[in-house]
Amino acid sequence: MKLYDQLFYVVKRFKKLFSPGPVTNADVSGSITAEIFIIVSIVIASLLLRHVSVLLAGFVTLILAVVLITNIPLIPKFRIEQEDSLNKMLFYAIIALGFIVIFLYWGGNLV
Amino acid sequence: MNELIPLMVIVPMMAALLLSAFSKYDKLIRILAFVVAICLPIIPIVSNYGLHFFGGYEPMVDNVTNILYHPAITYSFDFMQQCFIAMIGLLTFLVVFIYLSKYKKVSGPYLFLLFMGTSAATALILTDDIFHMFVFFEILALAQVGIVAASSIEYSYEMALKYMILGAIGSPMMLLGIGFLLAMTGTVNVTDIVAILRGGLLNVTSPVFLLSLGLIFFGWLYASGLPPFHTIKSGIYSKAEPHAAALLQSFTVISMISIVIIMFRIYSSLPIFEVFIVLFSVIAMILGVSMALTQTDFRRMIGFLAVGELGFIGLGIGLGTQFALTAGLFQALNEIVITALLFIGFGAIVHSTNEVDTRKLGGLLAYHPKVGIMLLIGGLAMAGVPPLNGFQSKLMLVQASLSCGYPELSILTIMVSIATFVVFVKTFYSMFLRPKPHDLEVADKEVPKAMVFTMLILLIVIFALGLFPNVVTSGISNYVGGLLL
Amino acid sequence: MAETQLAILFTSIALVVIGLYAAIFVDNIIKKIIGISFIEEGANLFIVGIGYKAGGIVPILMPNMDPAWFASNASYPLPYGLVLTSIVIGASTLAVMLALVMVLYRKYGTLSTSVMLADTSKQEEYNE
Repeated sequence: MKLYDQLFYVVKRFKKLFSPGPVTNADVSGSITAEIFIIVSIVIASLLLRHVSVLLAGFVTLILAVVLITNIPLIPKFRIEQEDSLNKMLFYAIIALGFIVIFLYWGGNLV
Repeated sequence: MNELIPLMVIVPMMAALLLSAFSKYDKLIRILAFVVAICLPIIPIVSNYGLHFFGGYEPMVDNVTNILYHPAITYSFDFMQQCFIAMIGLLTFLVVFIYLSKYKKVSGPYLFLLFMGTSAATALILTDDIFHMFVFFEILALAQVGIVAASSIEYSYEMALKYMILGAIGSPMMLLGIGFLLAMTGTVNVTDIVAILRGGLLNVTSPVFLLSLGLIFFGWLYASGLPPFHTIKSGIYSKAEPHAAALLQSFTVISMISIVIIMFRIYSSLPIFEVFIVLFSVIAMILGVSMALTQTDFRRMIGFLAVGELGFIGLGIGLGTQFALTAGLFQALNEIVITALLFIGFGAIVHSTNEVDTRKLGGLLAYHPKVGIMLLIGGLAMAGVPPLNGFQSKLMLVQASLSCGYPELSILTIMVSIATFVVFVKTFYSMFLRPKPHDLEVADKEVPKAMVFTMLILLIVIFALGLFPNVVTSGISNYVGGLLL
Repeated sequence: MAETQLAILFTSIALVVIGLYAAIFVDNIIKKIIGISFIEEGANLFIVGIGYKAGGIVPILMPNMDPAWFASNASYPLPYGLVLTSIVIGASTLAVMLALVMVLYRKYGTLSTSVMLADTSKQEEYNE
């Protein structure tokens, strides 16, 4: 029952996502599709970790599945993080640069 | 006939300069632009395969070490390059044709930007020199910024400046990476660098080599619009005029594959390189398609879809086998055609309704049935429905990831295709099929004939590539086999 | 020899880091662009540093020079050629950026990045 309420809440949150202007049926169903798509695809992608270690893949997949499902209106959060402001874009660009350099330095000799 | 190889770059560049210089004479630049645009797809088709050394400096053999050196900037022209250059030439011709027929008074500087972009993309895919690649990568970025800023769409200047600032961080990083490679090998010719690496003269696990990979990789992410640059890339597509956006996405695809092929030749001995490409491609697929599902501006939506499709190309290249690389390059060729069709088709809708919000549109099938049906076929091709070309390349990708032992990637590929289909059906429904809103005013004018003609040509290419994929894939497969030796 | 080259490399790294700091944390767009040009100059200086050779001569082969002596004493010319190109590109990038800033300054009347280059997708999506 609680999950049902939460799902209902998700739809309400989607209305806010398209806030200035009407919300059509197609938009909300598109957003729900995106929600499910994001959860499933991230979980499936995390299965790729089994090539590093099977145990790690199991843990990460379970934890990700639980975390993603319990936080379900994910799309509003994803959209806020991917908006057009220059500061957010720069932030993620620099994070990606750091990520690339650090993992290359550590992982270049290992894999 | 190898003199034709540098002409593929020189002709559009020269035309660009002339068009900008004589922009006062309207009739003259119309004729010049049209003639040059017709030449662009023809030159690569009639040219022979081979190498071109600028300045005529042939490769030299060092008497002491017996290594072959390339002192000149080298262009290599093979079947793969021929396919892509002919395709981008065709697309440039169609876009210039639309532009010339759309406006009574044409602008010389705008045509300059279009031709300069084509010339830079052509040089990127031809070159065998890593610094030459950097130079044209920068010229391409400048041309793209100019094309975006020249459109009179609201907030286009902001988007252009954002793209420029991010590029001004990405490209010096790439230059630093090239500098590291130059410091270690003393050369900027890719063939020479590969020979030095194969000869075991360089320690591939040294931190400097790894750092050069990281920095060039970051520049590649910027050039190809993979995450974290997917928002800005989709943004500039949505802020350019539709026909220009069709050209912009082809530039993106070309720069993506040309830089990644150079990186692949240098760094493929490092397994982490392929891991990184697959990682960023998967993120691009997930984020691109899921963001496309929530957009209400349909130009932005195609922009995100185009970024998501780039993930497929990266996936094919990241898997690294001959079949997978062929699939990735074939997907790149298909994406250029399909996304151009979608941008131009939706541009026709903008032309007749002056509206980009899907919530305010509807019932357009009664007004523009031809455009609607052609767009539907284009969308089906993008989602990978047989017998269209998207199906062939995506099937190859699924087979490639299965045979490499990654069934998760096959599942992801299929899921992303389905989600792409959902995006397209949703947009098609809300624009064409549902009842027309009362306050929507559809101008009672025909879609420009040039746009319909362009879409028809692109549809023919889509069907041809879908029904006879072997024409392209066998040649690309041979080329890839040469890369992997 | 090593000291000069090391000094060049450290300076270039310092330029890149300062530039990155300015590009991320400074709000004024002009200062941001100055930071960005710092990154470019850092990369250029690094490439110049590669070609450095202690006591090296200008890499131009004069008619009365012995080629073997020249080869062992001249500094490496390739990086200089590359840097020249790269400086030209950097200058044109800078010019285009500043031109765009001029246009935007006229529109907004401020140089703050968080105002000028903020998220615009909400405003444009549904304007009556």
